[in-house]
Amino acid sequence: MIHIAGVDIGSAFSKAVIMAENKIIAYQVKPSGGNYRLTAEQVTKGALTKAKLSLKDIDYVVATGYGAANVPFSREAVSDISCLARGVHYLFPTARTAIDIGGQFTRVFKLDKRGRATAFLLSEKCAAGSGRFLQVIAKVLQIDLKDIGELSLKSRNRVDFNTGCAVFAESEAISRIAEGAAKEDILAGLHRALAAKVQAMVERLGIEPDCALVGGGAKDIGLVRSIEESLACRLLTPDEPQIVAALGAALIAGEKAAAIKASR
Amino acid sequence: MTEEKKPEEKKKRKTATEAAAKIGPMVKAMIADVLQARKEGKPIAYTFICCCYDEIVRAMDIVPAWTENYAGICGAKRDAQRFLERAESEGFSRSLCTYALCGLGFDAWREQLGEMPPDAPWGGQARPDVMLGSGQILCDPRNKWYQAAQHYIPDVPVYAVGLPWPPYESDYDYREVQDYYVKYIVEELRGLVAFLERHTGRKMDWDRLSELVDLTDRTWNLIWETYELRRAIPSPMGTGDAMNTMVPIVFMMATQQAYDFFKELNEELRHKIANKEGEVPDEKYRLMWGGGLPAWFALNDFNYFNSKGAVFPVETTYRTVEAVYNFDIDLSKISDPLEHIAWRWVKFWTYWYDKARKRPGSHPDVERLIQYIEDYKIDGIVMHEAFSCRTWHVGLIWQLNRLKKIYRDIPSLILESDIVDISSYNEADTRARIDAFIDTLEAVKSKGK
Repeated sequence: MIHIAGVDIGSAFSKAVIMAENKIIAYQVKPSGGNYRLTAEQVTKGALTKAKLSLKDIDYVVATGYGAANVPFSREAVSDISCLARGVHYLFPTARTAIDIGGQFTRVFKLDKRGRATAFLLSEKCAAGSGRFLQVIAKVLQIDLKDIGELSLKSRNRVDFNTGCAVFAESEAISRIAEGAAKEDILAGLHRALAAKVQAMVERLGIEPDCALVGGGAKDIGLVRSIEESLACRLLTPDEPQIVAALGAALIAGEKAAAIKASR
Repeated sequence: MTEEKKPEEKKKRKTATEAAAKIGPMVKAMIADVLQARKEGKPIAYTFICCCYDEIVRAMDIVPAWTENYAGICGAKRDAQRFLERAESEGFSRSLCTYALCGLGFDAWREQLGEMPPDAPWGGQARPDVMLGSGQILCDPRNKWYQAAQHYIPDVPVYAVGLPWPPYESDYDYREVQDYYVKYIVEELRGLVAFLERHTGRKMDWDRLSELVDLTDRTWNLIWETYELRRAIPSPMGTGDAMNTMVPIVFMMATQQAYDFFKELNEELRHKIANKEGEVPDEKYRLMWGGGLPAWFALNDFNYFNSKGAVFPVETTYRTVEAVYNFDIDLSKISDPLEHIAWRWVKFWTYWYDKARKRPGSHPDVERLIQYIEDYKIDGIVMHEAFSCRTWHVGLIWQLNRLKKIYRDIPSLILESDIVDISSYNEADTRARIDAFIDTLEAVKSKGK
């Protein structure tokens, strides 16, 4: 049996996925921290432990993400867009457009019927277009990041932010708190601002159904609903949206391992 | 203190052509010539590229000091930050053109010290006698930079030359109004000559000017013919090199040196083509640099593209010439050299108008992209949004959208950073984008396979 692994070292979180026979057998997610090399080892070891395997049992490892160069045990690094496309295709074969909201960037891409990215856009170098925007406001509101989504759905009087800038939004949120605005209304406004950014990117690239939403941002149900409202379409979201790039990396690793085996 | 900061080390970019490798020493010599001219008391003019006055300045034996070039050198040597910070401390916004900021910071520093700032790149930028601004191509710094520089060199006069050309409209022929534009430009240039004579004491040598106008025509033709050689598959030279070979085009025009340089490059490219010697050994993707000034501190990114089998046979940036024999006017029949220059200017900027009018929904800038895509067999387009350069920024995305609408969907990548300000640049992020772009090119090329 061929065992393969995909390791995605993102700017905020790192993920490792172990696969065999085209099925996920284990995965691990952990904050990236300040030492990518150590994180790569730890997150992979975590996934391997769950799978009751060791690194020597793995036939091929592909790394991806911001810190892909810090995975010394990988055979090669593949671009995150390509891995995401492959991962989305595995989960949702009908998807032709996908949005990935990560810690540093938002990516919008089109993919073909074979799971290859054919066009993509990345958000500009600005926290307002990424998951970082959510982290900043969660800290201001003293809310756990994982609770943002459910809380925002309770909003009855959404606060409209006057800025798309994370720094200004932070001070604007503080002003609104001082005015007595409810946390859920501030969060709903925040989701609307982020959804507007995503909408602009999707419209620029051109949406083609079905559309999937992945990345850490997809764990925020309030954001998912807000983007759905902006794009006027239902989004496909996986159960574990953070591991899609690592999953794609593992799938690519599987292809490479199979090719090596076939050539022998 | 900014004075104590030292530049970051930068690995020199590897060029594909021998000619491009000669550019560095040529620029260094050019800067040294300006410094020598200062010592000898020759008049020096601060100048901008593409402003029609190359022949005029040279015919009057006035030494041009190309301020955009010097800012670019500071950027390429990764030694611009201290000048940018100096300009900021003088109250200029960091969001202004970083060429201008770098130049203003340098001038402020030089004038305060009464000598060149410490370790000024390549000896520094000499104090000018006159400054020749321009309102051309909507670039506001060209109009305001030298006025702002007068804060530090108030005794140095400025002449801002107006260089308009007829705007593009799909429902009228610009030829109806072109004569007015030429007349206006000629008057502006006559005013420039009078200004230079008044402030430098040099007299215009009109015969010399006519000779240089003819030399410039011939150089334009030669450059166009040389760059057309890059259509070859594999392409013998890419945009990375063209960002070097732009030097004779925009900083040495109207000199025999520029002509001779392209003669040599032409021969080198012919030799490479005959030997099927491409920029990279295994050419996989042919890309166009479709707009934006480069990040001068990151020209190695072109080598990174090359490492993926991607080459750039053509670019719109700094391709500021056409073969004059392609124009719908015989310039050789115009005896007045200033009128000749004005016609050449108007005909260059309106060159793509007729083609654009023939394709519904098109635009001259888009038509130019289409022609290059077809002539150079282009697989994808790369553009660069330099945050401080509004002139080039404006319209890039619009052009790509328009291209998709009226022509076809072609893979594109927009890189983000700046021309001089290295704090805007992230190598890992840039290369991750390039990797992803290469993957999409491969997917599109192998569509259906």
